[in-house]
Amino acid sequence: MKKTLLLGLLAIGLVGISPAQQKKQPTKKEAGVKPEEVRQVLLSGFEKDQRFRWKLEQDESQRICSQYPSREAMPAQAIAKVIELENKNIKYPQWGIFWGDWQEGKKLVDNPRGGRFASYGFADKPTDRGGNCYACHLIEKGVPGGTMGPQLTGYGKRYGITKENMNTPEGLEKLKTVYNIVYNAWHAFPCSSMPRFGYHGVLSPEDVMNIATYLLHPESPVNK
Amino acid sequence: MRKILLTSAVFGLACAGLLGYQTVKAQDQELSPEQEIKLVQEFNRMMAEGINPGEIWAEMGKEAFKKYNLDKCDFGLGPGKVEGAFAQLPRYFPDAKKVMDLETRIGWCLQQYAGMTPEQVKKFVQQCWGKSQCMGEYDAIVMYMSMASNGYKVNVNLKDPQVKRMYEMGKQIYYARLGPWDFNCATCHAGQSEVRIRATRLWSADRPGEAGHAVATFPKYLVRWAQPMTMHFRYSECIRQMRWSPFEPHSDLAVALSTFLYGTANGTEIKVPSIGR
Repeated sequence: MKKTLLLGLLAIGLVGISPAQQKKQPTKKEAGVKPEEVRQVLLSGFEKDQRFRWKLEQDESQRICSQYPSREAMPAQAIAKVIELENKNIKYPQWGIFWGDWQEGKKLVDNPRGGRFASYGFADKPTDRGGNCYACHLIEKGVPGGTMGPQLTGYGKRYGITKENMNTPEGLEKLKTVYNIVYNAWHAFPCSSMPRFGYHGVLSPEDVMNIATYLLHPESPVNK
Repeated sequence: MRKILLTSAVFGLACAGLLGYQTVKAQDQELSPEQEIKLVQEFNRMMAEGINPGEIWAEMGKEAFKKYNLDKCDFGLGPGKVEGAFAQLPRYFPDAKKVMDLETRIGWCLQQYAGMTPEQVKKFVQQCWGKSQCMGEYDAIVMYMSMASNGYKVNVNLKDPQVKRMYEMGKQIYYARLGPWDFNCATCHAGQSEVRIRATRLWSADRPGEAGHAVATFPKYLVRWAQPMTMHFRYSECIRQMRWSPFEPHSDLAVALSTFLYGTANGTEIKVPSIGR
């Protein structure tokens, strides 16, 4: 009985995977363009200033994600590979997982200029710290935001964080889960639209902790 | 016609005056809610009255077109033939041995017939980038050429292997994730479900007709900067917002993107200039 179930599951898995792979293959063949050629064309479109070059290097996960139009079209192996790679790319504040300052987090969330580089001319570092979170998420009640990402209104309340349980191991575990997602969204949602803020150094571990606190803390306006 | 142009010119200047306090680096500034509302009202009024100040550029472009000897330039239908030329671009040009879109072709011809160096062309192209109320001759030429194809349907010849190759490259670049924020074009402009970035509804290459509506209307007159925006300026802005490196106009990257986008837009009627906030 168990065996048949297992086989059945395997078959479903295979069927699920194969269309995605088949879809990918023909486009590659009929195109007849090599990845190196595409890369060359891509690089032709940028100023030759060597100081910008680091922005154009793709890491392994970006390379994998570039091959598929969306996560639904990704084969299971590719998804597993990205998760495996990204699990290694999470760092924590040096004092470990503890609640941060939600007011600081609010500033980072509200800042629409975060992570932007100077518009014209040279800039190697972001001009402001912040995540521009409202571009894609609805967060505080009544504040306009985007709909590309999931709605985060009342996030901590919905996740079951209360004043009583927030410092229990269970509460801190939930904080860690949210921290991980903000720090490196791809470890949980491979190739998601959400940038890997912490991994790229756009936000420091402390910044990410403050943002996670802002989302979960019972006193934060998100949960009012 | 003249009178309409003149009134719209005056109107354009007036609204430029209104926006005068947003100075040089218009893109860098965040607008206050009051300014934002004012712009939207201005925009709605222009839409309702059918005024598009972008048309002023076409008149200017007609003169600049002759001034820079572009009437010797073959845009795919024969030297100096402008009408409908934009609709069949990008295409392969044997003289340049390259696939080129409209703006890249203009740049190439400026080098051939107006004696410009590549650096001069780049300066000419970027004259109005990051500014507001700027009357650039390059924008004018692009506007003139695009408006000459109004009413034609986008008809990129994807059966040409060279064009097809560029199309495939553009498609792969569309999905290439890159840079410190992990974005690609498809992050915003793909998928079946309709999403918004703040208040802006995003078009998607996957929903039928939307890519066509998005690209067959460029150059677009932008009320907030009081000047038109060409397609390569649009690419540059997108790439800046994606936190990639500064964009090089008239590059193969731009042609690949154009080929993919206009190829996807095949069959859409060209309506230039459109107007945007």
